[in-house]
Amino acid sequence: MSPLPALVLLPLLGGAVAWLADRSSTTGTSSARKISWRITLMVLTLETVLLLITTFGQHSYQGPWLDHFSIPWIPIMGISFQLDMDGLSLSLLWLTLILSFPCVLLATRKIDTNAGAFHFLFLAALTGITGTFLATDLFLFFFLWELMLVPMFVLISAWGHEDRHRAAIRFFLFTQGSGLLMLLSILGLVITHYRQTDVLTFDYFTLAHTHLSSFLSMVLMLGFFIAFAVKLPVVPVHVWLPAAHTQAPTAASVLLAGLMLKTGGYGMIRFNLMLFPETALRFAPVAMGLGVAGILYGAWLSCAQNDVKRLIAYSSISHMGFVMLGIFTGSNTGLQGAIVQMLAHGLSTGALFLIAGSIQDRLHTRDMAQIGGLWASWPRLSSAGLFFAVASLGMPGFGNFTGEFLVLLATWHVNSIVAALTTAGLVLAAIYSLRMVNRIFLAPTRTPPLHATDFSIGQMSVLGVLMVLLVLLGVHPQPVMTLSLPSSLSTAAPSSGGDYGQ
Amino acid sequence: MITHDLFLPLPLPILSLGTMLLLGSIAWHRSLTRSLAIGFFTLVLALGGLNYHLGSPQVEGASLFVHDRWGNYTALLILLSSLCILLMSWRDLHHDKTHPMDEYPLLLVLGTLGAITMVFSTNYLPFFLGVEIQALSLMGLVASRPYYFAQATEASMKYLILSGVSSAILLFGIGLAYATTGSLYFSPPPASPDNTIPAIATIMILVGVFFKLSAVPFHMWLPDVMEGSPPPVAAFMAVVSKIAIFSSLVRYFGTEETPVYLHGILFTVIILTILGGNILALRQTNLIRLLAYSSIAHVGYLLIAFFSPGQLRSEAITLYLAAYAASTLGIFAIICAFSWAENSNGSHIPKWKGLFYTRPFLATTLSLMLLSLAGIPPGIGFFAKFEVAATGVERQQTLLLATLVVGSIIGLYYYLYVIRTLMGAQNTPSLPVKEGHSPELTTLIVVLTLIVVVGGIFPARMIPQVLPSPTSPQNGLINDPVHEPENS
Repeated sequence: MSPLPALVLLPLLGGAVAWLADRSSTTGTSSARKISWRITLMVLTLETVLLLITTFGQHSYQGPWLDHFSIPWIPIMGISFQLDMDGLSLSLLWLTLILSFPCVLLATRKIDTNAGAFHFLFLAALTGITGTFLATDLFLFFFLWELMLVPMFVLISAWGHEDRHRAAIRFFLFTQGSGLLMLLSILGLVITHYRQTDVLTFDYFTLAHTHLSSFLSMVLMLGFFIAFAVKLPVVPVHVWLPAAHTQAPTAASVLLAGLMLKTGGYGMIRFNLMLFPETALRFAPVAMGLGVAGILYGAWLSCAQNDVKRLIAYSSISHMGFVMLGIFTGSNTGLQGAIVQMLAHGLSTGALFLIAGSIQDRLHTRDMAQIGGLWASWPRLSSAGLFFAVASLGMPGFGNFTGEFLVLLATWHVNSIVAALTTAGLVLAAIYSLRMVNRIFLAPTRTPPLHATDFSIGQMSVLGVLMVLLVLLGVHPQPVMTLSLPSSLSTAAPSSGGDYGQ
Repeated sequence: MITHDLFLPLPLPILSLGTMLLLGSIAWHRSLTRSLAIGFFTLVLALGGLNYHLGSPQVEGASLFVHDRWGNYTALLILLSSLCILLMSWRDLHHDKTHPMDEYPLLLVLGTLGAITMVFSTNYLPFFLGVEIQALSLMGLVASRPYYFAQATEASMKYLILSGVSSAILLFGIGLAYATTGSLYFSPPPASPDNTIPAIATIMILVGVFFKLSAVPFHMWLPDVMEGSPPPVAAFMAVVSKIAIFSSLVRYFGTEETPVYLHGILFTVIILTILGGNILALRQTNLIRLLAYSSIAHVGYLLIAFFSPGQLRSEAITLYLAAYAASTLGIFAIICAFSWAENSNGSHIPKWKGLFYTRPFLATTLSLMLLSLAGIPPGIGFFAKFEVAATGVERQQTLLLATLVVGSIIGLYYYLYVIRTLMGAQNTPSLPVKEGHSPELTTLIVVLTLIVVVGGIFPARMIPQVLPSPTSPQNGLINDPVHEPENS
C-alpha cells in the first residue's frame, strides 16, 4: 500500500478534525483554545513519519519513479486519482513539511479568533500543495492546483492586515484566471490525444506521447506557462504578489512565499519542460528574457521599499527570476540550480517572513523607518534576521549561493550577456538586503520595545534547524542535486537517467 | 383521435389532477396547510410517476408527447427544484397570518405542470401551451408578496408584457413553420436556399426562446422581475423555467449540428450573454439581482455546450444543469433562511457583513454555493464548467472559450465580493441574529450542500445515477439523448 494518498489527504482530514474539535470546545480557557493547534502539530508529525517511510522504506515500485498510486476517479472521462513521486516531488515535499513546522510552531499559535477554522484552512492549503507536487493525472493536478487557492484566499481575506480584501481578491483573480488558461491547455492536449488514439485519458505519461504540430504545441505550452508564470511570478503578471504577501497573516505569507511560489516552478519543470521539450527549447529565449527582467525588476523595486514584508516580497520576484532562468537554460546544471534555488529560497524567505511577522506582532508596524535598531533589545531575533538576510542575498556557503551560481554557470554557456545582466541582480540583492539589515537591526534604537520579549530558546532552535539546512545546502549540495532531478517520462523501464535536454 | 393522442408521461396527469384537487379544496375551505400538503404530495407523486406513462408510444411525430431519457432527466430536475421551492416558501407563507395565500401552492404546481409539459412535448401545440401555463402561473406567483405589494405588482406587470411579447414572437415563428411544412412536429423546418421562410421561422422561434431564457440582448426583464418577486419565486424563475425552456431548445434542434444560418446569431448571442451577464452583475448590491445576472451568464455557458455538439456535449449539459440548479437553489434557500429572521427579504449585500462570525453555518454554505457557481473546486460547478470547456475545446470554439475564460474571471470578482462581505468586520452584524427554527430550511440547505460538495468530488457517481447510460468514452459516449425511447 502506497503512502502517497495518505500524504495528500491527511492534512485535509486532520484539519477537519481540528476545526470540529475547536468548535466543540468552547469553554474559552486558553488550553482549550489551543486544541486545534495541537491537532495541527500532530498532523504534521504524522506527515513527517509518513514521508520518512516513503523516503527510506523499501520501494516495491519498479522504474525511475519512486512510488506510484492510482485508482479510477471519474472513469467516464478517463480521470483517475493518480499520484507519482520522483526525486523532485520528494525534495519539494520535504521542503513543504520543514517549512510548515516553523509556521505552526511560531506563527499560528498566536491566532485566537477562530483558531479552528484557521488551522483547517492552513492544512487544506497544505493538501493542495502536496497534492500538486504529486499528481500525475492532469485533471487531478488542476483540481488540487485550484483547491489550494480558496483556503489561501480566505486566510488572507479573514486574518490579514489592513488592506487584506483587495489583496486577497487580486491574488485570487490572477491565479484563478491563469488557471483557466491551463485548463484549456489540458483539455486541448487531452482532446488532441483522443482524436489520435480514441482513448480519453488525463494520464500524464500517456499524454506525453501525443503528437502535436509545432503551432499547437506552442499554444498548449503557453497555456501551462502562463498559469505557472503567474504563480512563480514572472514580471508582467507579478502584480498580485507584493500585496498578497504583505497583507497575509504571517503563516500564510510563509506558505505563499515558501511553498506556493514553488508550485509554479515545479509546474514549469514537470509540465512545460517535460511535456513539451522541443517547444520549451524554442520558447527558452523569451522565458530567459522574462527571467532576467524579473531578477532586475524585483531587485530594483526591492531597493525602494520601506515596508519590510513588501521588500521581502519583491526580493522573492527577483529570486524566482533565477529559477525561471535556470529551468529554461536547457541544461541539467541550470535545472539543478533552479531546484536548489527553490529549496533555498523557500527556507530563507520563509524564515524572513516569520521574523518580519514577529517584528510586526511586537511593534505593530512594518515600516522600516519606524522600527530601527532592534539589535540592542532583541539580539536573538536580530541575529536570526541577519543570518537569513545574508543567506538570501547569495553569500557563498548558503544554499541560495549554490542555486544562483549554478544558474549563472548554465546561463553563461547559453548567453553571456544575459549572465552579465543577471550578475547586476546579485549586486542589487546585496544592496537591498544590507539596507534592510541596517535599518531594522543595526540603526540607532528608535522605538522602545514595550513589553515584547526576544525570541525564546525554543523559537531560536526552530529557526536553527532552518539555518543548518541552508548551510548544508550551501556547502554540501550534491546529494540534493542528485536526488531532486525529475525522473524521465517513461514509467516502465529505467531510462538513461534525467538527460532530457542535453 | 382521442386514443391516438393519449400517450402521456404519467407526471402530466398527476400534476393536472393535483391542480384540480387544489382548486376544489380552495373553493371549499381555505386552509394554507392543506394546500401546501396537497401541493407537496402532488409533486412527490409526480416524481414517483416519472418512469411510467399512459397509452402506448406512437411512431415518431404522431404523438404530442415523447417519453425519453432527456425529458425524464430534466423533468426530474424540475420536480425536485419545485419541491425545494415549495419547502422554501413554507415558512414564509405561514409567517404572515393576515394574508392567507393558499393559491400559492396551486400556482406553483401549475407552473411545474407547464414546465413538465414543455419538457415532454414533441409538438408545437403542447409546447406552446406549456410555455403559457407557466407564464400565467408565474405572473400570479410574482405578485404574491403582501409586504412589497407595489414592487411585486410592478414586477408582475413587466413580466406580463415581456412574456407576452416573447410568446407572440414564438407563436409567429410557429405559424410560419407550420405554413411551410404543414406539420406541427417540434423540430426546425427544413431550410432551402430559394425559400427563406423556414429560416425566418426558426430564427423567430429561437428569439422567442432567447427571451424566455433571458439571453442578452433579450435579458432586461429578468433582474427586475426577480428582484420584485419573493425569493422562492425568483428561484423558480432562475431554475425551473430556465431548465424547462433549455430542455425544449435541446429537443427542438436535436443532437445534430444546428443549421448553418443560425451560427452567426448563436455565436453573437453566446458572447453577449456571457460578457453582458457577468459585467452587469459586477455593480449589483442586491443579491437576488446579482443572482439574476449570474444566471444570465450561466445560460451563456450552457449555450456553449449546446452550440458544440460532440461526444462530450450530453454529459456536459446534464451535469451543468444539475450543478446550476443545486447551487442556485442552495443560495436561495439560504436567502430564505435569512429573510425569515428579518421579516423582509434582506437581500441587500452590505447588510450581510460579518455573517461568518454570527451565523457561521449559513455563511459557510453560502460561500460553498457561490464558489460552486464560480466553478471552483470542490463545488460541483467546477466539474460542470470543466465539461463545458471540454465541449468547446472538442469543437475548437476558440473565441467562445476565450469568452468563457474572461467571463469566469469577471464572475469570480462578484462572487468573491459577496464572500468578502460575509467575512467583513467582525463587530457589525447588521442583520439581526435571530435563530429561527426552520428545520425544513436547514435540512434543505444541508442536503443541497451535500449534493454540491459530494457531486463535486465524485461527479462520476452522479452522472450514471441520473442518466442510466453506461456509455464509455471509447465507444462514442451518448449518441442520442433526445430521441431514445425509455424502455420502462
